[in-house]
Amino acid sequence: MNRAVNYALAFVAAIAVGHVGTILAAPRAIMQVALGKMSDGGTRLNQFSFGPRTTSHSRAVVRPSPDLAYSNCVYDLSQGPIRVSAAPSPDNGYVSLSVFDARTDNVGVFDSLQFPRGISFVLAKAGQQTPPGTPVVISPSNRGVILDRRLAPSADLFAKVDAARRADSCARL
Amino acid sequence: MADQPVSRWKLALVIVAGLALGVGSAWHTMKRGGLRGAGSTGWHGNAVTGSVDADPWTRARVALTGLLALNKSQAIYFTTQTDDSGARLTERCRYRVSGGVMPARWWSVTVYADDDYLPQNEDDALSFDATEVQPDAQGQWTALVAGKPEPGQPWASSNKAGDYTLTLRLYNPAKTAQDDFGTIPLPKVTKLDCGGAA
Repeated sequence: MNRAVNYALAFVAAIAVGHVGTILAAPRAIMQVALGKMSDGGTRLNQFSFGPRTTSHSRAVVRPSPDLAYSNCVYDLSQGPIRVSAAPSPDNGYVSLSVFDARTDNVGVFDSLQFPRGISFVLAKAGQQTPPGTPVVISPSNRGVILDRRLAPSADLFAKVDAARRADSCARL
Repeated sequence: MADQPVSRWKLALVIVAGLALGVGSAWHTMKRGGLRGAGSTGWHGNAVTGSVDADPWTRARVALTGLLALNKSQAIYFTTQTDDSGARLTERCRYRVSGGVMPARWWSVTVYADDDYLPQNEDDALSFDATEVQPDAQGQWTALVAGKPEPGQPWASSNKAGDYTLTLRLYNPAKTAQDDFGTIPLPKVTKLDCGGAA
């Protein structure tokens, strides 16, 4: 095999490694940055933060919806499971609680259609003991984020759902 | 002819160049890979967005351009960067968006600039949604995406959006829509005029 062929093979192999490596690493890396932002560098864990109304200046996460009120809880399951609950919005407006793992996968979601009187579940890692009688979501990673989305397309409605969501809870069992 | 030895320096250079090209192609795939038009309308959606079943390329694309997207049991997302003629959406033009009954509890259409964030304008009209449109007896509705509003029409502002995309969100989608995205009647995006014409 001559030298040019060796260089060509090395070049193609390096392209493949660079491409696939980036594709595989990107979700965790991007999520890591987002979790750091949302938890003030890891200092706000297992508690909800209530975001302001989405405007043209919102830059926390790409493609935010200006019609939704967002709250987030960056979770840490290393010390055990957590219980998550969300109060309903006024007039049974749309509410969802969604769980994302460190790889960005949406591993669990509950909404106000299923639970019009409020949402409650336990989030745990596989093998952790959980109480009976409550829905359980298993996260493959110790850390991730729970997102509370509420329909709030106007400033008036945002003020109402903002008051309601203050009853949300995300804390160790 | 005898084989010539491979120079370590040249080999290192070739590998670095290959890695850079690989990283660049991955970035391009993540940024633009999901925006190839599906069908004549240009809207693109992916049934495994947000799902644990997502392939690595879909997962990476969503992480970069739609982090924390819900799976299809809760929300379905479609994005288009073109109008119905296939031309790139741009703030220099006005568009009529029209559609019918959406198979969802609630839906919205939002303007996003090319950096995947909301356009930096102060119009407080970044989207229009199911609560704003006024469907006729057949459920048909229209809205305007342009730099200025028009009386009586729901409006999403494209000011400072540059070349932009529109994202359609369908929340609590019907089971038929979840099972087959092809059944979803996607809105039309029709160019009205460009360059400040009346």
